[in-house]
Amino acid sequence: MQDPLQTALRIGASGLEAQSRRLRVVTENLANAQSTGKTPGSDPYTRKVVTFENELDEAMDANVVKVASIERHRSPYRLEHNPGHPAADQNGYVKMPNVDIMAEVADMHEANRSYEANLQVIKQAREMISMTIDMMRNG
Amino acid sequence: MTAIYLFNVVSRHNQWLAVRQSTIASNVANANTPGYKALDVDPFEKVLESTRLAMQATRLGHMIDGGAKAAAIEARKSEPWETSHSGNSVSLEQELINAGDVNRAYRLNTGIAKAFHRMLLASAKA
Repeated sequence: MQDPLQTALRIGASGLEAQSRRLRVVTENLANAQSTGKTPGSDPYTRKVVTFENELDEAMDANVVKVASIERHRSPYRLEHNPGHPAADQNGYVKMPNVDIMAEVADMHEANRSYEANLQVIKQAREMISMTIDMMRNG
Repeated sequence: MTAIYLFNVVSRHNQWLAVRQSTIASNVANANTPGYKALDVDPFEKVLESTRLAMQATRLGHMIDGGAKAAAIEARKSEPWETSHSGNSVSLEQELINAGDVNRAYRLNTGIAKAFHRMLLASAKA
C-alpha cells in the first residue's frame, strides 16, 4: 500500500504529463496552421485534438489521468482561391488546414491553467511531507 | 496516569488529511477528463466516530500499518460547484481551496504534536 501523499505526488505528475502533451498538440496545430498539401487537390494538415480519460491505477488505488488518444479533428477544411498554388485543384481552390487559431489559443490557456493547478497540488503535498519530517527535529 | 490520546488523534487526522490531499490531486489531474465526477473523502468526524479512538476494526485493513488504514477512508462524490457540458464536475477553485484547508490543518497538527512532544520531554527531563 502506498503512502497517500506519495500517491498525491504521482497523480499530480500524471496531470502535468497529460497537460503538457495537450500543449504539445496545440503547438503542433498552431505551427501547421498554414501547411497545405503538395499535389493538386491533396489534403492539408488536419487539426489534432487530445482526449483525456481517467484510469484507476491498481497498484496505487488512485485515479490518475492519461491521454486516451490524439485524434484528427473532423471539421471541414477551409477553401482558399489561389490558382497558382501547387495544391490548387482544377477550379483554383486550395484546401487549407481546419485549424482555428482562436480555439487553439483558448485551449492553450486552459492547458496552462490546469498545469498550474496540478503544480500547486504537488507543491502542497511536498510541503506536507516536509512538515512531517520536521516533526523529528527537536524544536 | 491517564492515557494520552493526543498523538493518536493527531496521526489519524494527518492520515485523513493525506488521503484527502491525494483525492484532491486526482480531482485536479482529471479536471479536463470528460465525465469525471469530483470526489471527496468522508468527514473526519465520521471516520473518528466509526473508529472511536480505541480503533475498532470496522473494515478490513484497519489495524494494519499506515497505508492500509488510509484505504479504509472512503471517497464519495462531492457536491460540485459546477458541472461542465462534458459531464465533468471538477471546479479547480474549489479543489485549491480544499487543498489550502488541508495544508493549514496539517500544519496545525504537526505543530500541536511537536509542542506536546516538547512538554513530555520537559517532564521526562525534570
